[in-house]
Amino acid sequence: MNEEKIDNCKNNIYDHLIAEEKNKHSVYCTKCPSKILPSTLGKHMNIEFNLPHMSQKKNCESIECELLSDYWMVPDMYMFDNIGFSKPIESGLKYLICADCEIGPIGWYDDKTKQSYVALSRVKHAEDS
Amino acid sequence: MAKKTYDLLFKLLLIGDSGVGKTCILFRFSDDAFTTTFISTIGIDFKIKTVELQGKKIKLQIWDTAGQERFHTITTSYYRGAMGIMLVYDITNEKSFENIVKWLRNINEHANEDVEKMILGNKCDMEDKRVVVKGRGEGIAREHGISFLETSAKANINIEKAFTELTLSILNKTPGREPTDVPEKINIDRKSDRLSNRCC
Repeated sequence: MNEEKIDNCKNNIYDHLIAEEKNKHSVYCTKCPSKILPSTLGKHMNIEFNLPHMSQKKNCESIECELLSDYWMVPDMYMFDNIGFSKPIESGLKYLICADCEIGPIGWYDDKTKQSYVALSRVKHAEDS
Repeated sequence: MAKKTYDLLFKLLLIGDSGVGKTCILFRFSDDAFTTTFISTIGIDFKIKTVELQGKKIKLQIWDTAGQERFHTITTSYYRGAMGIMLVYDITNEKSFENIVKWLRNINEHANEDVEKMILGNKCDMEDKRVVVKGRGEGIAREHGISFLETSAKANINIEKAFTELTLSILNKTPGREPTDVPEKINIDRKSDRLSNRCC
């Protein structure tokens, strides 16, 4: 019972973006007008992943990360309208970036499963224009 | 499994000397130096962009050669599957223009022979520093039967046009333009073979 309550609370802030586990709206970049993913192509997933901050402090050697747990899982990279992939970082992972302004990481891509994960908190959700 | 969300998929490469602005051609807004730092230390592998041309939804997978600009490092594996190549030089850098011929030779040696090519003279916003006149770019393109454009990634001149033109030229020679058309074509060919046999 208790666990369920916690889970519900956690999802609350994103509930309005999810319909039948999929992204209800199209996904856009937060900094530029680039459209990243059309609606309904991402599946909502709760996975904990330490994603580096989009802005890192200058002259700081360690990479500061943020533990995020809400992602849109995209099973095929060609489902994206516009997306960029970084060079591989470790064990076949690549960071996802905006294809136009290159801010990121907005998520990560796993070369083994070919699945991409876009952090809900790193993108904008809006109706198709 | 997943529904197909596009009609065609083209792989494009950006090739040319380092510093000619290939990476800049791939992005429109580069003013936020702070946020690009993190990704630029890792580097970009490729991008996927979606365009609509002649009623077809086309996915472009665009690869940048940044960091591997020396001829010997770009070989067959890099060109594999490439359907279009943007060959870029910098109008303010004579050497980068002279190297276009070397790049063309490299492409001829390693890439698929029917790959669509396009030559871009980049940084055309820097008129005061120009050392390669437009006519020379046009000349070399004509000589090799390739289309040519002067571009500026910085001022966003002709970038969109370059991608559209290259994509269109690939689209126009895509057999049947749709995968479903291909088997029909083969059938027709077989029929005509049989007919010609009968005639003989």
